[in-house]
Amino acid sequence: MKNIAITVFIASIVIIMVLYLVAFQVRETESALVTRFGKPVREITEPKLYFKWPAPIERVHRFDSRMQVFEADLGETTAKDAVPIIVNTYVVWRIDEPLKFLNAVGTVKDAEVKLYGQITDTQNRVIGQHSFGEFVNSDPGEIKFNQIETEMLTDLKQTLSDEYGIEVKTLGIKQLKVSKDVTVKVFERMKAARNLRTEATISEGQGQATKIKGDANLKSSVLLTAAQARAEVIRGRGDAEAAKHYKKLEENPEFAMFLRDIESLEKILEERSTIVIPADSEPFKLLKEVPLLEPKK
Amino acid sequence: MTEEDKQGNKDLQPQTLDKSASEDLDAAGKSLSEALRISFIVLKVIMIVLVVAFLASGFKSVEPDENALVLRFGKIRGVGEERLLGPGLHWIFPYPIDEIVRIPVAKKVDLTVRSFWYYQSQERMLAEPSIEKTRFLPELDPINDGYCITRSEKQDETISGSGGSDYNIVHSKWQLTYKIDDPERFFKNVYVEDVNPGDIYFDVITESITPLLQSLFEDVIVTAIVNYTIDDVMYEQVARLTDDVKRLLQEKFDTIESGIKVVRIQLTDRTWPLQVNAAFEALVTASQDRQTAISQAQTYAESTLNETAGPVAEKLFLALNDDTISEEEMELLWSQLAGKAQEKITEARAYRTKVVASARANAEYFQELLPEYRKHPELVVQKIYQDAIERIFDNAVEKFVIQPTEGTKETEFRIMLNRDPSLKSKTGKEQTTKE
Repeated sequence: MKNIAITVFIASIVIIMVLYLVAFQVRETESALVTRFGKPVREITEPKLYFKWPAPIERVHRFDSRMQVFEADLGETTAKDAVPIIVNTYVVWRIDEPLKFLNAVGTVKDAEVKLYGQITDTQNRVIGQHSFGEFVNSDPGEIKFNQIETEMLTDLKQTLSDEYGIEVKTLGIKQLKVSKDVTVKVFERMKAARNLRTEATISEGQGQATKIKGDANLKSSVLLTAAQARAEVIRGRGDAEAAKHYKKLEENPEFAMFLRDIESLEKILEERSTIVIPADSEPFKLLKEVPLLEPKK
Repeated sequence: MTEEDKQGNKDLQPQTLDKSASEDLDAAGKSLSEALRISFIVLKVIMIVLVVAFLASGFKSVEPDENALVLRFGKIRGVGEERLLGPGLHWIFPYPIDEIVRIPVAKKVDLTVRSFWYYQSQERMLAEPSIEKTRFLPELDPINDGYCITRSEKQDETISGSGGSDYNIVHSKWQLTYKIDDPERFFKNVYVEDVNPGDIYFDVITESITPLLQSLFEDVIVTAIVNYTIDDVMYEQVARLTDDVKRLLQEKFDTIESGIKVVRIQLTDRTWPLQVNAAFEALVTASQDRQTAISQAQTYAESTLNETAGPVAEKLFLALNDDTISEEEMELLWSQLAGKAQEKITEARAYRTKVVASARANAEYFQELLPEYRKHPELVVQKIYQDAIERIFDNAVEKFVIQPTEGTKETEFRIMLNRDPSLKSKTGKEQTTKE
């Protein structure tokens, strides 16, 4: 009975060891290739538990099937209109078909070398079909940046999938630059454009200010004129009403004139007047002599 | 393994039976049996401990900011929502059957992108901004200096005559805040380096995915910003631009099935190239000057109109040029008049009142006197005349009575008038020449 227990124990250890030799897991993040005596026999992309002949009959080669990013260095290329452009393209890729990948590429390092070449190729070809004005344009409708990226993706996707078993998930241009000399010219242009706008702004400001002031003055004078006119009407009415009263004076014009003269005289000399008068005028004569009063007859 | 454990327990009973039966055996056999028994017990204990330890290794904890996936033979276990384990303690089959993968889902991570900024040496980064801005080369080096290309204003086209392919350069700094939104997608698709002992798992994840995220982020920025002008980036359209970038970046993340969510995009810093700083600042100053000039003019306009006609000025002005406005409305507006215009009207009203009043007064005075005058015209005239003269002399400030000289010789006669400078005379001068 003891032996049974030991047997079971040993047996289970043996089973586990055998399982370790013949079974293998493929994880969600992997794909695998089984080779028999170095010759590929199975390509595995579905994650689960698999069995194989123990090594050295069959071997498992695992590949990380997750996305990796690869970026080519900054590279100069030329647009259709012979404008040099400096771009940096990155590619998000993954190993899709392990067999193809193993045969045509090998390792991730090798893949990056291939990718670099392919990216440069695609970059030159696709960008060469577009003018610089399709990357950036003062008319947003003319900008075809996204389209260019899509074209590059299509171009690269096909080649890499067919030849290397690599799936390109996406790609893009992460730097868009121009050469040193060109930046100097760009700055010249930017400065010129700014200066023009500065001048325009200054004169526009002055113009607007002048206009606002002018408008205000105009309005003001229109209003004053209108008010003046209204005032004249009021004055006119006053004069007309006054004239009605003056009609009453017509009963004795001479007396009325006399009264009016007296009033004027008084008004004129009402304030701060200095009067110089000869001593022989009335009633200052009295200062000189006693008047000669002749009793009335 | 559990099966094996049960079998071990069954073995206990037969063993005790054996013990009683072996009493007759010799001493050697006895000691051998004893040794076997002890080693067997030791083995049993080891087995049980191993089994327990093995089973206990299936307990896995998930931290509060994590979610976990369980891989059974490499494949994600479960269906639908069961696939994700929330925070807490969980039991899974021990290795190599099940494997737990923890994904930090709650943590928000910031990723700063400085690759669109001009090159700064360490010391220049630390220098005062004012000093830092003064030293620069006339060009930008594509290798060291970062920048984005923006489209130019349509109105600027005419300057260069480049047919629209004109552009500007702008520097910017960005920050992306993201989190892992879909652990399964993230785990399946996004490359994360193996965690070595001593590494912090979260840091390994962050470090592994940064190149991918940064590339996508930069791509989106470059593609988005060409649709904006430098003024949009500097001033008016920052919010729209960041929204654009956020939307496009999320689209990218979704296309590649990364399971990552963009939480926030920030344009943390931006500037025009230092090489054109003077020209750009001149425009800023000019714009401010323009604003000042305009607001001063507006103030002037307001105060002028207010002085002229008061608050109603604008309305009244419009009404004056508007034929459709009714008489009553017009009168209503006039009644609200103030300022100089109102003064004119007031003066006119005063004039009217005065003129009418004095005319009436004169008329009444005249009519009162007339009957008396008719009776004694000379006396009345004399009386009025003398009263008036008295009043005049009474009012006069200074009076000079002069003895006229006889003969033909012209006499010169001088009086210093208005010794008080505040006095003004209209009539005095005329009178000096009288004699």
